[in-house]
This record gives sequence, structure tokens and C-alpha cells, in this order.
Amino acid sequence: MAKKTYDLLFKLLLIGDSGVGKTCILFRFSDDAFTSTFISTIGIDFKIKTVELRGKKIKLQIWDTAGQERFHTITTSYYRGAMGIMLVYDITNEKSFENIVKWLRNIDEHANEDVEKMILGNKCDMTDKRVVNKERGEAIAREHSIRFMETSAKSNINIERAFCELAEAILDKTAGRESAENPERVVIDRGNSDKAPGYNKCCA
Amino acid sequence: MSIFKARVKEFEDLFAQDVIDIKELRRNVNNGVPDVLSFRALSWKMLLGYLGPNRIHWATTLAKKRALYKQFIMELVLPPGHTQNGEDNSDDESRGVGLQDHPLSEGPESAWNTFFNDNEFLLQIDKDVRRLCPDISFFQQPTEYPCEVVVHSKGEQGRRLHERVVPSVLSSANVERKGLGVTKINLITKRSAENYAAMEEGQEAHWEVVQRILFIYAKLNPGQGYVQGMNEIVGPIYYVMASDPDLSNRAHAEADCFFCFTALMSEIRDFFIKTLDDAEGGIKCMMSRLENMLKAKDISIYNHLKSQELHPQYYSFRWINLLLSQEFPLPDVLRIWDSVFSDEKRFDFLIKVCCSMILIQREAILENDFASNVKLLQNYPPIDINVVLTHAVSLA
Repeated sequence: MAKKTYDLLFKLLLIGDSGVGKTCILFRFSDDAFTSTFISTIGIDFKIKTVELRGKKIKLQIWDTAGQERFHTITTSYYRGAMGIMLVYDITNEKSFENIVKWLRNIDEHANEDVEKMILGNKCDMTDKRVVNKERGEAIAREHSIRFMETSAKSNINIERAFCELAEAILDKTAGRESAENPERVVIDRGNSDKAPGYNKCCA
Repeated sequence: MSIFKARVKEFEDLFAQDVIDIKELRRNVNNGVPDVLSFRALSWKMLLGYLGPNRIHWATTLAKKRALYKQFIMELVLPPGHTQNGEDNSDDESRGVGLQDHPLSEGPESAWNTFFNDNEFLLQIDKDVRRLCPDISFFQQPTEYPCEVVVHSKGEQGRRLHERVVPSVLSSANVERKGLGVTKINLITKRSAENYAAMEEGQEAHWEVVQRILFIYAKLNPGQGYVQGMNEIVGPIYYVMASDPDLSNRAHAEADCFFCFTALMSEIRDFFIKTLDDAEGGIKCMMSRLENMLKAKDISIYNHLKSQELHPQYYSFRWINLLLSQEFPLPDVLRIWDSVFSDEKRFDFLIKVCCSMILIQREAILENDFASNVKLLQNYPPIDINVVLTHAVSLA
């Protein structure tokens, strides 16, 4: 058995309509690369990445799910064990945004009550095809008290930041259980890539 | 004579018979079809029940089926209101485009209404066929045998299915007014999705053909519709038909593929239906059959995976659902399907192949932690596929 090389293990789940870019987001985060030619995810895929937050090595075990309705019976069985869920829509696809509500209901039904959630509006580099403006994403997130970010796996905007913030929120919860005192927040390393020119344009 | 030549000879002799001995066909195909002539396309057509053993009937069967498929295109693919030289006298009520009907009609009988409703599942098909087998360029290449009525649109939109769901490329301009009445116009030309630029009038890519096959299948099987993964089932069949060296057959790859795909789907459709997940023949049942076989063959691997809570659905859902088409490179997938199609208990054999895949990795699995094992099983390492198949045959 391999030696334990991490302090904490967080299980994360990516959900959202088919084609919104879940697999690309995960690939950008785990391999720092982008390809538009992913085959569709059937069932569930899996990636691991270790990040360091507040001096702790945190192993993120990230499950990537198939978006189509048919796979829900299979994929919802993963909700239970998830500590964080990223709910992705595509800013160029109205329907994927409308379905956010449906996905949130799914989380309520199948996930742990205290699961940390985050909504991501992906493909924010495609400004000329945008149909869902950022305010609508913010509004639905506010309504459900969930974190929100616009991302682009292609231009590497906010991807690392999204995972780190979600991980940090889980860490807060875990740490909160250990000691009520929360030491001053350590600024997480967002990497240079997040400060790419596109960053300000889309996501500031 | 080399072994290869001997095998080619076996197939030559086999297909030279007037009535082909199915048992012999099964036996030969089981060892893998040599990549020459039309052997694989023919074998699959027969094993999937598209062609019978009697060779004299082939021409009639093929002509009939291909004509039928052409009719499907006319009735299901072309936009409503399209007339086809008066040859259509069928009483298909749903296509009847009366004087009352027009694109803005919302009546339930409106052919236009149906036309627009189709777009929902068409959108899903579109996403999936564009990402079919991205590691080979085949599906992005133009076919030498495009569907004539579709590619010669004479300006009519919507004959190419993807045109209905992906807006055509438009150029637009941003007009900015700056002080002093200076107007600045930025011309923006949108690029259509990279790599998948629409073909010119008169041409179409293989993925467009596959899209039409899936669309027609979904239209004809409304209870099931289109489910993701069907693209991965139709892909290898289409590849075989569309690379048939016999051009008189290759020209009809689309129709032949459609019927072979439909025949195969009739056997595995339960995998794709959510409400049948727990039923016999449903995907969960198949996965537990694999689990039970693993338990019987190697209790230590079974226990190890169990203790890691590495459930079979983490890997075997996709394996079984797609008949292993996403786990191996295309030539290996064709080889596996030779064995699966030629086995009388097709899906029992598939389970054996899956079980062998696990057993072959015994040492690694017993050594690995949870994460490495999921990775191993979800991204199966490169292997000589004949090793896996031979192992599977050896499983009682």
C-alpha cells in the first residue's frame, strides 16, 4: 500500500448538462491543458490532484459525471460521498443555465446536507456567443447562497481558483469542527495563469 | 502458406459457398477477421442478421433495405413540405403537410412543430458525433458517397441536420460611437467550431452521416430516443462499412450501417434505458454478473476491490454499456467485436472479456490503493488485445 502522502482527502463532484465542459474543466485543473475533442463521458470519470492549502496537503479526488438524464441513476449514487459539488453551466447555452435549478434539486435529494456547492458559468471566453450574462449567474447563486464564478477551461480562467475556493470552504468546515478558532486566512496561490489577460475581461 | 494467408483462404472459401455455413462463419470470425477484402463487413452483416446465409438473396435484400433507408431520409430528415417528384403516396399522416401547416404553426399535428421538437435530441446527437473517435481523423474526412438529396440543398436550410441546431456562421459588426461622431466599426467574423467546419455544397463528412443514422434511429424508436453512448456503438460499425474495399457496398455504408446498428441495438437496448437498469438484461444486472464472475475466479481481487469500496460501476458501466469501444484503440475494438458478435452467447463473452481485463492486472490491483486502481481500470493500459481475448476464451 502506498504511503499516505497527504493530510486530508476531499471528494468533489462535477455535475451539469451534457457538453457544458465538465471534463475540460477537470482536465485543465488536473493536467493544465485544453482540448476541445473530448469524447462524451459515459457514466463517471475520475481524477486526482493534490493541492496545498494553509500548509496542509489536500488530496482532491474529483469525479466527473455524464450529463445526460439517462445516467442520473448511476451518477446520483456518487452524490452521497461528495464533500463538494461543482455545478457547471455553459454561458452560451441558455438551457444549461435553466437546468441549474433542476441540478440543485438533485443535490438536495441525493447529497449530504452540508455539502459545499459552487456554480460555474463555463466558456466565458466565448464572448460573442454569450447568451447568459454574468448577473443572472450571480443572481441564482445569491438566491441559493452558493459561491459563483465564471470560468473558461480553454483560456484557463478561474479554474484553479474555483477548485481552491471550494476546497478551502470544505477545509473551513473541517477545521471548524476541530477548533472553533479559525486562524487568519492564508491567501491561496492562484497561479499566474489566472491573471492572464482574459481574466479581467471576463471574470473581474 | 503463412498463417495469415491460410486465414484469408478460409474466408475466401467460406464466402464462395452458395449457402454460407453460419457455424463455420462463427468459428472463423471468432479468431479475428483478416483486414482484407470485405470480409469483416460481410461477416458482421451476417452475424448481426442483416444478411441471411443464402447468397442468392443478398442482392434483393440489400436493394430492398437500401431503398427503405432512402425513404426514411425523405420522410424523416428532409424538412416538411419537401416534395419528392410525386413518388411519395404513403399514408404517413405525420408528414402530411396541409395548407394549414406552416413553420409557425403550434398545432400538435403540425409537421413543422415536430420538426422543431426534434431539435432537442438532435442537439445532443450533434454534440456527441462531433466528438466521435477524436484520435483518428476518419470521421472528420469527407465521405466519397454523400447523401445526394441532403448535400445538394439548393439553398434550402435544414437538410443537413446540424444546420438546424448550430447556427450558421454569421458575420456581425460592433458599432462604436466615439465623441465627435466618429463611428468605428469592428467587423467580427465568427469562426465555426474549429475542425468541424461545414463541408461545401455537395460534400459531407463521415460524422454528418453518422449523425443522420442516429437521428433516424431516434425518430423510429421514440420510446428510447437518443442516449449518449449510442454514438460509440454506431461508430465502429460505420467505420467498417465505410471502409469496405468493395465500392459497390461502400457506397451504401450509411444504409447498411443503419440496419446493422439497429439489429445490434435490439440486443443491447436495455443498457440504455434508465428504467430497466435493475431488470434482467439491464446494465446493473450485467455489472453484477461481472462482479460475480470475478468473485468466482479470483476471490482475493474481489475482496481487495470490495475493501476499497471500488464498486464495479466505477469502471464496468462504461465497459459494458459501450461494448468496450472506449477502452481500446479502434482496430482492437474491431477485433473484440469480431469475437463478441461471433459468440453465440454474445454478452456472456463480453463479460468474460471484462473479467479477463481485471484478472490480467491482478498484481497491480492487489498492490494499488483506491485511486490508482480506479485510474488503472478507467484508463486500461496498452496491451496486446489477443492476450485479453485468449484469456477470456479460457474462462469456463
